[in-house]
Amino acid sequence: MDSSFSKRGIKIIGATLLVYALLVAPHEGEFWPLSIYPMFSQAGNPWTRAMVLDVSSKSDADLWETQLLQNRDSDVVAVGDYGVDQIDFSNFIVKTREWTDSRRQALKDMFGPSSISEGRWMVSKVRGELIGRDSVSIEITPFILLTADSTFINPNLPASEYGGLTNEMD
Amino acid sequence: MKWTEKLGNQLFEPGRDQSPGEVVFFKLFELFVIFYTIKFAWEWGIYTELRNFEVVLPLGLAKYIDVSIFFENQLAIINASFITLLSIMSYLRLGYRWQYMVVMVLFHVQYVARFSQGEIPHSQNLIGMAVLCFAIGAIFFPDKKKMPRFVMGSIIFFIGLGYTSAFFAKLIGTGLSWNDGRHLWLWIGEKSIDILSREGEYAPNFLQLMALKSTFIASVILLIGWLTELIGFTMWFKKIRPFTTLMLIGMHIGITMTMNIRFDAFVMQLILVGFPWYILLDRYIKSTPDLLKRIV
Repeated sequence: MDSSFSKRGIKIIGATLLVYALLVAPHEGEFWPLSIYPMFSQAGNPWTRAMVLDVSSKSDADLWETQLLQNRDSDVVAVGDYGVDQIDFSNFIVKTREWTDSRRQALKDMFGPSSISEGRWMVSKVRGELIGRDSVSIEITPFILLTADSTFINPNLPASEYGGLTNEMD
Repeated sequence: MKWTEKLGNQLFEPGRDQSPGEVVFFKLFELFVIFYTIKFAWEWGIYTELRNFEVVLPLGLAKYIDVSIFFENQLAIINASFITLLSIMSYLRLGYRWQYMVVMVLFHVQYVARFSQGEIPHSQNLIGMAVLCFAIGAIFFPDKKKMPRFVMGSIIFFIGLGYTSAFFAKLIGTGLSWNDGRHLWLWIGEKSIDILSREGEYAPNFLQLMALKSTFIASVILLIGWLTELIGFTMWFKKIRPFTTLMLIGMHIGITMTMNIRFDAFVMQLILVGFPWYILLDRYIKSTPDLLKRIV
């Protein structure tokens, strides 16, 4: 091997780099496995994730109350135990704009047909943000109640949160 | 000598003869890449079949083709089977020079079908980049001596570039205040919710507790990680490469401890490409095994 191999190698890397740039530029920095690695690039923004709380023993009056994380009074249902990827789950809850029949059904199906049984599970949105100079607030907002045969939306939230739906969902 | 030629010499080391240790290491490394390619292809394929039902976020080719067809008809499983077959054939150098490129395209499709649900993970990117470098190397440098050098050199180039690119993405996305420790508090909070959601419980470790107690400590943790990303490109230079690699591995351990994000295959690949393992192997292997000579 001689320096002509090096030169050709660099030329091919250069050409690959050009294709790399042409692919990631119109695709928001991501064309797997090509990436500009933008993760964590926008720091300090509030975030929203999702979790499921077992609210079987909660009274109907308290069911839809928003809580801070440190005041949580219900156990968390471990979605990993049901083979659900928690990040996919969060994205599904947070990014879905219209809660159509198929999406509500998909949410129930995610955990398997008999998982909820006689209980009541509250799918909740969890929002974190910086407050003042020195603290982070994490707030849990009940979003969709799952029972064995129905789904219910939070009556305290605006209809726009569910894509215009206001009534009980079956 | 132009700077591009100097860089080429650092990455490809054309003046060094191929040794038995280099051949053995190269085929072991290729086996590592093939193993993870097949592992990911099946994990993504099975998850896609069982869990995906609607495209939430179309990535890559999913913007142009409807990947929801992979959610049914066992197509994701069939794709995983093709990836497996073609990867093994490519490893054994059976078939065509462009075969690895087909593996790359099918692997990309498998990724965009699996990760069409909103998440954009990067922990499998290095394996994907390695497959791409094998594909380019197989097409342009099929020679038994040149292909290993090009593949390893180009992988090192793109790893270094990726880290430095991540530094600038943060600088552009947030500015010089990116390493404000309170940003780390927010991310620790976010990741703690992910773990709580997945496992039903969460307890912070000592590093997270230290960061949460002091803005200064949290800021220092972020600054060290950020500057380590900046120097990622120094992997291109062979004398500095092992030290840069050690710092990058340390940074990944830090990310795992502070943000609970694991990069197993990523770190293993860094360990493999960041150090001159052939020197160690050459101490024990004096001639290249005939089998490897045929499939290098």
